[in-house]
This record gives sequence, C-alpha cells and structure tokens, in this order.
Amino acid sequence: MEALLLAWLAPYLGAGLLILMKNRSWKEKSAVAIASILTAALASTLAAWKVIEAGETLRWAVTWVSTLSVDIGVYFDGLSSLMALVVSWLSFLIAVYSYEYMGHEEGQTRYWIFFTFFVGSMMLLVLSDNILTMFIGWEGTGLASYSLIGHWFSDEEEHWVGDPGRRALGKQMWFEPSHSGLRALVFTRLGDVGLLAGIATLHLVTGSTMFKAIADGGWAPTLAQDGVLLFFLWMLFLGAMAKSAQFPFHEWLVTAMTGPTSVSALIHAATMVKAGVYFFLRFAPFLVAAAYVLEHTVPGGAVQIAAFLQWMAIIGGFTAFMLATMALVSRELKLILAFSTASQLGYMFLGAAAGTLVEGGLGGMYIGFSHLASHAIFKATLFLAAGAVIHAVHSRFIDDMGGLWDKMKITAVSFILASLSLAGLPPFMGYWTKDEIIHVSFQGGLLLPAILSWVTAGLTAAYIARAFSRVFFGEKHWRVKEPHEPGPYMWAPYLILGTASLVLGLAWPWIGGPMEEVLRGSMGVKALEVELVSKVSAPLVPAATLLLALTGLLATIYLYVVRGADLYAYVERSGFVRALHGFLYDRWYVNSIYYIVFVDGIRELSILLKKYFDSLIVDNFYHRFIPSAVMATVRFTSGTLEKSWDKLLHEYLVAAFKKAWRAFKSMQTGCLSHYISYMWLGISIVIILLCLIMGCKP
Amino acid sequence: MDAPLLWLSILVPLAAALLTLAWKRGSAKALAILNSASLAVSGLLILCSYLSWGIRGLSFDPLYFSIGGIGVFALSMDAVVFLSSFSVAAVTAIIALYSLPYMEHRFSELAEEGVEFPGWRTYYFLYTLFALSMIGTVMSTNMIEFYVFLELTLIPSFLLIAFYGYGDRVRIAILYLIWTHVGALLFLIGALAVGNNVGFNFIDVQKGFLLGLGEKLGAAAALAAGLLVLGLAVKMAVLGLHIWLPYAHAEAPTPISALLSPNLIGIGGVMMYRIVYVLFPDTFAGFSTILYVWALATMIYGGLMALSQTDFKRLLAYSSVSQMGYMLLGLASLSAFGFAGAILHYMVHAFGKALLFAVAGILIANLHGLRDITKMGGLASKMPYTAALALLGFMHITGIPPTVGIWSEYLIVRGAVEKALGMGAAWYMGLVGALLLGIGLSTAYAFLTMKRVFYGPLREHLKEAREAPPSYWAPLIVLAVLGVATFILASPIIDPLVSQITSVMGGA
Repeated sequence: MEALLLAWLAPYLGAGLLILMKNRSWKEKSAVAIASILTAALASTLAAWKVIEAGETLRWAVTWVSTLSVDIGVYFDGLSSLMALVVSWLSFLIAVYSYEYMGHEEGQTRYWIFFTFFVGSMMLLVLSDNILTMFIGWEGTGLASYSLIGHWFSDEEEHWVGDPGRRALGKQMWFEPSHSGLRALVFTRLGDVGLLAGIATLHLVTGSTMFKAIADGGWAPTLAQDGVLLFFLWMLFLGAMAKSAQFPFHEWLVTAMTGPTSVSALIHAATMVKAGVYFFLRFAPFLVAAAYVLEHTVPGGAVQIAAFLQWMAIIGGFTAFMLATMALVSRELKLILAFSTASQLGYMFLGAAAGTLVEGGLGGMYIGFSHLASHAIFKATLFLAAGAVIHAVHSRFIDDMGGLWDKMKITAVSFILASLSLAGLPPFMGYWTKDEIIHVSFQGGLLLPAILSWVTAGLTAAYIARAFSRVFFGEKHWRVKEPHEPGPYMWAPYLILGTASLVLGLAWPWIGGPMEEVLRGSMGVKALEVELVSKVSAPLVPAATLLLALTGLLATIYLYVVRGADLYAYVERSGFVRALHGFLYDRWYVNSIYYIVFVDGIRELSILLKKYFDSLIVDNFYHRFIPSAVMATVRFTSGTLEKSWDKLLHEYLVAAFKKAWRAFKSMQTGCLSHYISYMWLGISIVIILLCLIMGCKP
Repeated sequence: MDAPLLWLSILVPLAAALLTLAWKRGSAKALAILNSASLAVSGLLILCSYLSWGIRGLSFDPLYFSIGGIGVFALSMDAVVFLSSFSVAAVTAIIALYSLPYMEHRFSELAEEGVEFPGWRTYYFLYTLFALSMIGTVMSTNMIEFYVFLELTLIPSFLLIAFYGYGDRVRIAILYLIWTHVGALLFLIGALAVGNNVGFNFIDVQKGFLLGLGEKLGAAAALAAGLLVLGLAVKMAVLGLHIWLPYAHAEAPTPISALLSPNLIGIGGVMMYRIVYVLFPDTFAGFSTILYVWALATMIYGGLMALSQTDFKRLLAYSSVSQMGYMLLGLASLSAFGFAGAILHYMVHAFGKALLFAVAGILIANLHGLRDITKMGGLASKMPYTAALALLGFMHITGIPPTVGIWSEYLIVRGAVEKALGMGAAWYMGLVGALLLGIGLSTAYAFLTMKRVFYGPLREHLKEAREAPPSYWAPLIVLAVLGVATFILASPIIDPLVSQITSVMGGA
C-alpha cells in the first residue's frame, strides 16, 4: 500500500534529484525525469486496477497537521483512479516527447525540475482525500505552470504570442513569455483566494478539511441560514473557474502559449487546466447531497444549489461559444488550439453542471469526466503534433504553413485523427462525449447554454478543419528549405494518442457503461439522488448536432482545400466583416478592457495614492507638519514668551530699579529743609498706616 | 526546564559580542564566524528547549529575578516564543555571514566617500547586541523586562543605520529613533497604568498566563490596552503609522534591513497577542473589529504602494507594511487559528523578507549600487542563483508551496473567515472581496517585480553582470531550505501552536 504513495511522491523525488543534477547530461536528466513519471504512472495503474477490479476505494494516509485535520497520502476512488490514469500516462508520453523536443533548448535542468514538480503536484491534487492537501497540489501546479510558461524568460520574439505591434483599444496584443507567466499566476491566484476562503469556510462549519466530512452536504444549512450559501459556492468554485479558464478568467490560458509546446500540451491542455473540472466533478455529488439536506432543513435552500449549477452551465456554455469564435480567426496554430482548449473546458463545465442538474452527482461526474478524458487525449495529440509542425517550418503562424501533408505524413495523420475527434464526428471519442453534453443541456431545459453549445459544435468543426486544411493542404507557404518529420521520440507519443482517440471511440459503446460503474465508486455518490430539475426529452439533438458539425467541417474543407479560397481578401473588402474579424481577432476586446480597467486602474490608484496620500498627506503630516508645528511652538515660546519674560526680568525690572535708584539719588539734595520735610512726610505716612491697620480713631 | 537554556541563548551571543569588542586582532572573517556561530548556538538552544519543554506547553528558564515593585524577570518558552525567537536566531545567524561580503563592499564605498566610520568590531558588536535583545523581547514575561529588551534593540539598530546607512543616514537614523521611541513611550505609559495597579507581569512563573488580569483596571482598562496596542502598532507600522518604515528599511545597510523589516517590526504583532490579548482579552475583543478593518486596509494599502515603487528596497519596505496587515488580520480575528496564523506568519515573513532584502543587497553590491527596478531586467540569465532565491522569497510572502507561507496564509484566512461569518453575511462578503484585492495585489507586486528585475531581455548596461560570489548567496540557501523544511514539518509547529493558543484562550 505504501508503495502507492509513489504515484505523487516519485515525481517530487525526481524533481529533488534533478536540482542536484545541474552538470549532468541531457540524457541523464531526462532518464531521471521520465523514470520518475513512469513510476507514478505504474503506481497509479496498479491502484486503479485494484479499484476497478475490487470495486472499492484504496486509501493510505498519515496525519500531516492534526489540528487542521490534514492528511497526506493517497486516496483512490472511482474518480481519482481514472483521473490519475489519464494524468500520469499523458505526463509520461509528453515527457518522452520532451526528450527530443527540448533536447537543444536552454534551461534544461529548470525544464525537468518544474516538469516533474508539476506532475507530482497534479497527482497530489488528484489523489488527496483532503481539501487542503489538494489545495497544496493545486498551488504547486500553478507555480510549475508559471515557471514553464515563462521558460524562455529572456523574451525573444520567436517565443511570443500574438502579432508584434498590434494594438486593440490602445493595448498591446502581443505577449512575451515573462509577461504571460505573470498573467497566468495573477489570474489563477485570484481564483485561488476564493477557493482558500471557501476551504476555510468549510473547515469552520464542519470542523474538518477531509472530503469525507464535506461529502454529506451537512455544511449547507448553516451557510444557507447565514445567508451566504450562494456567495460561498461562487467563491469556492472561483478557483476552479480560474484554473479551468472559464470566462471571465479565460485570458491567461490564451497567452500561456509562450511556453514550450510540450508544456502547452501537458499543462495547458491535458492536465492542469482540467483541475478545475476535476474539482467540479469531485463536488458534484456533494452539491447534490447538500441540496438533499437543504430540502429537508431550509425552505428554498435546494433551489440555491440548482441556481448555482445553472449559472455554472451558463458560464460553461458561454465560454465554449466565445472562445470558439476566437479560434475561427486566429493565425497562430497554438493559439487556435488554446482557444479550442478553453472552449472545450467550457463544454466540460457545462456537462458537469447540466449533468448534475439532470442526472444527479454520478451523471454529472460521468458526463464531465468522459469529455475530460477524451479532450485530454485529442488535445494533447493536437498540441504535440503542432509542436512538430512549428519546429519544422520555424513559424507559429499558419500563414507560413500549408501543404505539409507530403512532408509530414505521420504528423498529419495524427493531427487529423485528433481533429475529427474534436469536431465530434463518429466514431471518434469526441463524438460520444460532446454529444452527451449538448444532449443533457437540452434535457435540462437550459436553453441558453444548450443553444450556445450546439452552435459551438458547428464552429468547432469549422475552426479545426480550417487549421488542418491550412497546415497540411493547399499551397505551400513555408520558407524553410525542407520541413521534415521529427524523430520517433516525438512522433510516437502523438501517433499513439491520435490512434487512441479513434480506438477508444470505436470501443466507447462497450467501455462507457463500465466506466460509469467505476465512477459510481466515487466519494459521495449515493443511490438516493435529489431531482434538481425535471428532465425534458430532446430526441433530435444528437442528429442535429452531428449535422451541424459535418456541415461546418465539410464546408470549411471545401472552401480551403477544394476552392483554395483566400478569406483575408474577403475580410478586407467589407467594413462590417473587417470590424467583426477585428472584434474576434482581438478576443472580443476583453483583454484590452481588463488592461484599461484593472491594470491601468490599479496602477493609477497606486500612483495617485503614493503621490497625494502617502507622500503629500501622511509623510508630510508626520515629517513636515508635526515637526514644523513643534518648531513653531518652539519659536513662539522662545521668541515671544521666553523673550518677554527675559526682558521683563532683565531689562524692565532692572530699568525700574535703576529709575528708582536715580529718583532716590535725586532726593539727596544735601539741603536740611528737604530732609526735614521727607521725615515729616515719612512719619505722617507711618502714622496714617498705623491708624488704618490698628483701626484707631483720631 | 532543568537548565538555563534560555538565558544561555541570550548570554552566548552577548559573550560573543563582548569578545568582538575586545578582540582587537580578530579578522573580519573570524568575527563573522564568531558572531554567526554564537547566534546559531542560540538558535539550537532555543530549538532544544522547545522540543524538550516548550512543545508541551509554557515553561520557564529556572533562573529568574524578582525585583521589588516591578515583578519577576523570567524567560519563557512555548510554541509562540519558539517561532519568533527561533526565526530571529536563524535569520540573524545567516545574515551575519552574509554581512561579511556585503559590509566589505559597504565599507569600501564609505571609504571612497571619505567618511569616517567605525570598523568591523563595532559592526558585529552592535549587530549581535541587536539580535540578542530581539530574542529577549519575545521571551519576556514582564512588561518592564520587555521594555528594557526593546530599548536594547533600538539603540544598536539606530547606530547601525547612522554609521553605515545610505542616503541621508543620520537624519533617517534619528527619524527612526524618534518614531520607535514614540511607539515605545506609548507602550510604556500603558504599561505603567497597568503595572501600578496590578503589576507588570503578564506571565507568572507559577500561574502561567495571567489571563484577564488587566481587566481589573475597570474603566481605565480600555485606555491602558489602547495605549499598548497603539504603541505596538507603531512598531508594526500599520497604515497611518507606517511612514517611518520605508525610510528606515530602505536606507539601513542591507543586512540590517533584512533584520529590521521582518524580525523587529513583527515583534509588535507577537507581543500584541502575548501582552495585550493575555492581559485584556475582553477589551482586546472590543478593539478587534477596528483592528480587523485596519488590518485589511493595511494589507491593501501596502500592496498598492509596493506596486508603484521603483526602488527595490523601498518596494520591499512597503511589502512589509502589507505583510504586517496579514499578521494583524490574524490577531484581529480573535480565533485560535487566526492567532496561530499571525505568529506563524512572523516566521514566514522573517525567512521570506530576509531572503528578499538579501537579494536586493546582492544586486546593490555587485551591480554598482543598482537599486532602481526600472533599470533592471533579464538578470536571471546572469544570476540564476540570486533569481531562484528571490523567487523563493516571493513564494514565502505570497503563500505558495513548497514554502511554509501557505500554512500561515491559510491559518490567517481561516481565522478571518471565522470572525467575518460571526459578524454576518455582509462582513463575510466584504472580507472575501478585500482578500481578493489584498492577496491579488501581493501576488501582482511580487511577481511583477520578479519579471522586472530578472526576466525579459538583458539590459544593455547589465551585459557585464555576473553571478555574485557564493559568499553572498550560499548562506541564504540555508534560509530557503528552512522555509521548505518547515512547510513539510508543519505538524511540530502548527499543532502545538494552535492547541497552546486554544488553551490560553480557553481560560478566558
């Protein structure tokens, strides 16, 4: 049992070892990294096999911090076993790919350290039985992502994202690696603050941070009575929304493409960005349980859970649609895939939310996880293949590609297999999993997200068809001598994955059901489910979705491959189309608006505060006003009070004495008659005084 | 406690300091090793006494002095004392080694300016005196004892700034001295008001924490507690009382900044719990809502100010203001988790901010006095170790694992949530909003600084930059390792901390 700990410990140990391997060869470092990840993959396979075979959960944990009820260990239930399988094996394949892909790049040690650190953190996140340990893994993935996005931190132009020099609403639309890394960290950390507050709230209410203490939804009535339930849920899920790049947090993922393509494939497509979805799936049955508890305790409480899920569905559907429209016009191969990733994550959010609303916790988990897995496989393929293409033509723009089919057949085949899965065509895996999401959205009566997701299915087919048409077919625009296929360390992983999306799709009717059974063994899934919304039948949806996707795909292929159309010229011809194109190309101006409102706003506030409050008021108050007030008082006391007292004593008094003395002196005339009259005057005064004092009467 | 380990932890550095003064022929290197070793021994003694006694609860050094009319001067050890005193000992021991190359550089600069300045013996004498008196403050059990140690920290640090600081150093040293004395004086008036009525002890050697003793003052309790809080708030540099800090911490010689900024100011927070809360639990609870809002405002304000600084050290100074907001938030939450978070954050900030100031110092010493961030960029390619240490430093203060920062951040948020939820829905929402802004700003200024200093294309005038010699960064690795090790070994720290604070609070 303890050996299963290696599922996350091995990559961490690998990272620790790699820190000491600075002067070793690339081969040795890669061997350590790949072996540590393979160990993790084998450990999780062993555990998953046991879980699937025995149908029970495996847990091995020791107390880490007992006052916070924090455990450290591994927890394999249905959901975490399947997720661990996806994460670890994809990590392994992409690590193998990296061996060739990163072999001639700068910062090799750093690359492997953060790569293995990422895998360890991601596995820890997945396998925790404790929400705080999960959060630690969660933050670890964020750190690795930050570092790897900014891997080429000296910001050479070849590693940028966006068109150098392009501005939208005055804001730059090109992003250097160091800038993108900062964006990713700040965006996701904002969400994490919400999550942290949510964890603290759960800990406060339940007295524990263990998932099993949260699973029964017993925290919900307290929070509902305090009037914070809905707000709490938003905050708890804020981290998931940011990590999984849901609107309004999607911007960071787009520019994360400055990282090495292998990193984009692993972190920003297949695994880390799924952490938010995974979190959602983990909580889906808990939310249902909470609704169940609320139904019996707080009137109107269960409705809040349903309302929250409906909001999540709307956000998911909107993200799917919004990002798909951006993918339609992008000129950078990796950017198309990044937009597509965020769009597909929107599908997953929608699937998890709608599935939970309609089918309950297990349903949400099944629908969300299916698409998570299918997307992980096809999107990793697309990115890895794109990495090979970009390497081959030395450009990230699809305008510099075209006609590569002849030169790179393995890459092209893998890419197209994965594209068809993304487009949602049968019998590929993506067909089954996406279809289910759109279907369940209609069944739940979630009209807006359902329609958005349906339209997005068409857009998806169109943008990915555009991508592979312009990369592999049509005229050759590349300027290098001879683009060629990469070596087997690179093509083998994506060929395997591309094939997997076809094979798993073919097998889906047989493996979908058993997978649902495995998921039934996840924490919190109960036989008893509360009905959050009533189900409506939507019989024509699958057929309509397929029709739309096919139309989008075939029309685009026809346009680019058969007709060889030049749409840039078309865009230039009409003012409206140009404006629309600009709107989509500049990402609905969301980025610019963020920079104008938040970045500039905070910068201005900071400068204003510094200038007019900190320096002008506070600093001057203490260091100018108070000292000068003191000085003024000093001047007043020394200048006015002290001086006049001084004068009084040392001038006036002296002068008065002098005068008196002079007067006295002038009396001494030497004339006897004067002296007699003085004596007479004196005696008279004395007598009068005596009479007055004694009271005698003359 | 069987042996006078706590007195030894103060006397060993004192002996080293006196020896330094007397050792006329000691080389700079020998003095550095002597002083660093004495502080390291002090740290080990603290660790020993914690693991043997303090981990189980409050315990005392067997030696204590009873002074008529003032009370008992004893030294105490428990989880709170351990975290703060160990942080001081560890940071000062490491920075003592870092001082060697840095002050070498500073001395030659001063000599070039043609300034007369006292040499190595004075530096290390004052340095170690400063360090040991900080250790003494947190171990105190009596307000006058605390005050004496506090005064002992102020004089050497004042002289260190005046002798070796940057810019208008004498003026700034005086500014620092006056400010800290205003704080100390406010504290002293409060302490006298308490002491004349119920005595100066806040911990009794037999009875332990004298919980609620100050409340016997009746109506005057609020005034006395208010003065104590205000005095310590000046020390902590809370918003409105913060303005001395950017001057002092930016212009102090960098090794001293690395001690002033995290270690000295944090003592205000630690003692706010240990003195004010213990003596006045109810009065302090009455203040807590004001302190809570003040803390959030400090956190956000410090972050906003840090964003627009161009001087690296000044940026770090404002970051310290913001970090004190975090600490105060934990204290104002009035929950065991919040208190524990504040105390743990003392250590987090000590490790993190010492690393960051040391990094700023490496740049100053090795890049011809460069401290303007707008003139930096791309240094990570030339100075990978320095960049890695800076990243770790920023991870500490923003609470990113695998550094211990994540634990204190969670504990503080946990405490803050508890208080907010107790006050109602609007407070809860307001708190989360303020945290989003506050922690968001911390992340933004931290990693924006990373980008501006270390990433991007290498600036033309920095083409000649090279990694600093290991004498600069090698000692700092120990700090970084401590930060990671305490993240992993969280249980022996957090568990006793939370349970001891809970039991103190339980007596209320």
